[in-house]
Amino acid sequence: MFHFYHVSKTGSERVNDADICFIQCSVHFITLKKLNRLAHMRLKKGRDQTHEAKQRVDVLHLQLQNLLYEVMHLQKEISKCLEFKSQHEEIELVSEEEFFQEAPAEISRPHVTRDDNHQLTLARLDWELEQRKRLAEQYKMSLARKEKIQKAIEQKREYLSSLQPGLQNIMQASLPVQEYLSMPFEQMQKQAEVARHLPPPLYVLLVQAAAYGQACDKTLSVNISGDVDEAKALSRRPEDSQEDESDSDAEEEQQNTKRRRATVGVQLEDKRKAMLRRHPLSLCVDLKCKDGSVLHLFFYYLMNLNILTVKTKVSTATDLSGAVSAGELLNSESLLNCLYASDHGKETPNPANRYQFDKVGITTFADYVSDLGHPYVWVQKLGGLQFSSDGAQVCLRGSALSASHMEKTMKLLRGRLQARLALHKQFSSLEHSIIPVSSECQHLFPAKVVSGLTRWTMMSYQEFTHVLKAGLVCETDLFFMAVVERGTARLLAAVVLNPRYPEVMPLFSLSLHWKGERSGRTEDNLRAMESEVNVFRAELQGPRPGLQLLTNQIQRLCVCLDVYLETESQVCDGSEGPREFPREKMCLRTARGPSRLKPFKYNHPQGFFSHR
Amino acid sequence: MGPVELLHMSVFSQSFSPCGRFLAAGNNYGEIAVFSLSAALSPDASEASQKPILNFTAHDGPVFSLLSTDTHLLSAGNGEISAWSWAETSLEIPEINAMIINPKDNSLIVGGGDNNIHIMDMETGIFKSVLKGHTDYIHCLCFKEREEEILSGGEDGAVRIWGHTEIPLSHFQTCSGMASQECARPQFGKWISCLATDSDWMLCGGGPSLSLWHLRSMSPTSVFPLPGCQREAVFYQDLIMSVGEGPHVSHCLHGGTVKAQIPCTPSSLNTLALNLKNSEHRVMTVGGSSHQIDVFTNFSYRAFSLSF
Repeated sequence: MFHFYHVSKTGSERVNDADICFIQCSVHFITLKKLNRLAHMRLKKGRDQTHEAKQRVDVLHLQLQNLLYEVMHLQKEISKCLEFKSQHEEIELVSEEEFFQEAPAEISRPHVTRDDNHQLTLARLDWELEQRKRLAEQYKMSLARKEKIQKAIEQKREYLSSLQPGLQNIMQASLPVQEYLSMPFEQMQKQAEVARHLPPPLYVLLVQAAAYGQACDKTLSVNISGDVDEAKALSRRPEDSQEDESDSDAEEEQQNTKRRRATVGVQLEDKRKAMLRRHPLSLCVDLKCKDGSVLHLFFYYLMNLNILTVKTKVSTATDLSGAVSAGELLNSESLLNCLYASDHGKETPNPANRYQFDKVGITTFADYVSDLGHPYVWVQKLGGLQFSSDGAQVCLRGSALSASHMEKTMKLLRGRLQARLALHKQFSSLEHSIIPVSSECQHLFPAKVVSGLTRWTMMSYQEFTHVLKAGLVCETDLFFMAVVERGTARLLAAVVLNPRYPEVMPLFSLSLHWKGERSGRTEDNLRAMESEVNVFRAELQGPRPGLQLLTNQIQRLCVCLDVYLETESQVCDGSEGPREFPREKMCLRTARGPSRLKPFKYNHPQGFFSHR
Repeated sequence: MGPVELLHMSVFSQSFSPCGRFLAAGNNYGEIAVFSLSAALSPDASEASQKPILNFTAHDGPVFSLLSTDTHLLSAGNGEISAWSWAETSLEIPEINAMIINPKDNSLIVGGGDNNIHIMDMETGIFKSVLKGHTDYIHCLCFKEREEEILSGGEDGAVRIWGHTEIPLSHFQTCSGMASQECARPQFGKWISCLATDSDWMLCGGGPSLSLWHLRSMSPTSVFPLPGCQREAVFYQDLIMSVGEGPHVSHCLHGGTVKAQIPCTPSSLNTLALNLKNSEHRVMTVGGSSHQIDVFTNFSYRAFSLSF
């Protein structure tokens, strides 16, 4: 082209060259086109061939897939067929050896079956069928027999139950005979029956108390009272109740999130009640005294706390009334206080209870004591419950512990009741200003005692504290005020009575109002009078069991006041006119020793007063 | 000793041991307790050191007087005297309220319930003489060393001075003559329960007020206005210390003024003792209507108490 252009530019001189070039260019163009055409055609052919080949491959591919699918399908079918379990395989057949041994020849056909498994299985199935048929028949026969026997049993039962009323009559008729012979078998059987449902501590107590009663003390009797069915229900149901609790806890939590304030307090209250639950059965022990009064003791078992408590009641043969100051004496709350020293029964003796109480917010057990009874330590011991705080002594458990304490405790209980009843009588007489001195104790006092008791009243602990006592007084004691008078002289005596009277002597604290006020704190002679009344237990307690102690002390107080007043008049010589209290008592000397004490000691048959 | 017995215990007499390291006290139950002063006064004293190291029942009746000799402790009960060797033997008469020793002829002078004063020879144990004259029982005795005279005071209100004979040299009633207005206190009575002498001077008191007398002129020079009846009085340096009814120890001056009244535990005091023999354990101890004996290391206040 350039050549042509160049040539065309070079001009017309070379016109031939231009035409040649022009022809050559056109030839080249045609060649180009032809080549192009050829190329296109070759391309097309190639494409067609490829296309064809592809189609063939596709067909083959499809065939392959079909075949594969078919193979898979067939394989599935095969596996399904292989997995097929026929029902006959679930039947347990007897083992082959047994089969060959037991089955009769026409079924087992060993010559065939040994070789052919299929036949073997068939034969075994046949045999199975035979056996089953036979056994079914046997079963039917047995059923029929059972029916017959059942009927026979029913008949016999009816016969027996018709006997029952007859037996009852005989039992009733025998009761009077039992009583007459004092062998209450039936009662004991009934009791034993119920006793099986008692919780262990109460059972121990029952056994030991009954044994003690039989062996040593005919006036002691033990009964079981309470709801036996509930007790049975309790013993049957411990697992159920636990599940119930967890369920109910879950429910309660759900409820909580909705109604928080309404249920928390009630919930706590319920938990407390549940913790303090008593076992439905309780023991009642009766101690009878000679004069006909009875001390009833009711023992309860608190299940969750594992302690025993006791409530008391006193029933007397005669009506006890009239002594105002004696109100506290037989009060069932305080009757058994301090049976053993410092056993107040206000707190639970089981240290584990502290943790339980913390969970439900109980601060002191004392609040519940009036409801539930007193958990005295001796009650726990009688039930065989030993708590570790009781000191490292001999470690008895259960029945041995109970037995070792039984006699002593029963004696203490009886002694306590008698002491209180005696005090009751004495108080009613003291309130009438009569000091009841029994004939055995008359020798302690002179025949004529001029000072007399004019008042006997109860006092409270607060009024008493200012009158002192060096740590010998505590809140559980009973306080009284006695007023002894002679002429213008008044002697006020504050009396502290320990619940363990008469083991512990009552204490007197004196103050005298006569020409001024003197008290045992300030004057030596009054102090000597106090010691005369407080210290000499052996003289004052009178015949066993020492129930005269208080009245003897009061009488001695009157005698000492007489001596004091009569000998005192001598000191102030003449300047006051006639003596108010003439000397009637016979005294050897009116003053002795550096503190010039008066003669307060009375000597019996001679009847004079001397110094100690 | 239960708590009730302790409550009604009164200490009537005290005596220091010859070495001054121990104190013996007698009470109304007839017991004598020996306390170790060196343990109680030591810097690491504890509760236990205020308890007696030895406690025994000496007599049936109260031990009203105790006296220490160089080797023995003499105690008197109802009509008997026992000698315990700063550890014991025994003898006879009715309640003995006071005992003193005449070191010059080694005799024991005893005064008590039978209104008489008995003089006993310590070596032989035989009673040499009896001084009669009092009309009622004798409360207290004291001894004038220089002239070897015995002074005795009794329930009858008389103070008698005895010389070597059995007849009193002189005697005077504190309630007669000029004396009566000043010291007599009729509301209490006329008995004399304490006597102390300092050669020329004599202290006596009891029912009448505590008064200081000049012996040669037989007249009271000063009367002490103490409210209660005094049971024991001693001369100490230039002070007079006395104890009696009322829970305090009274310090008085010769002039008749009461300088101080030191409070103590028992509500009234029966006995006062000064431990002058031992300079290490110089204490004053008092006992009375209580089971506790107060110990004063500095005489102005109570240090601690020993208890039976």
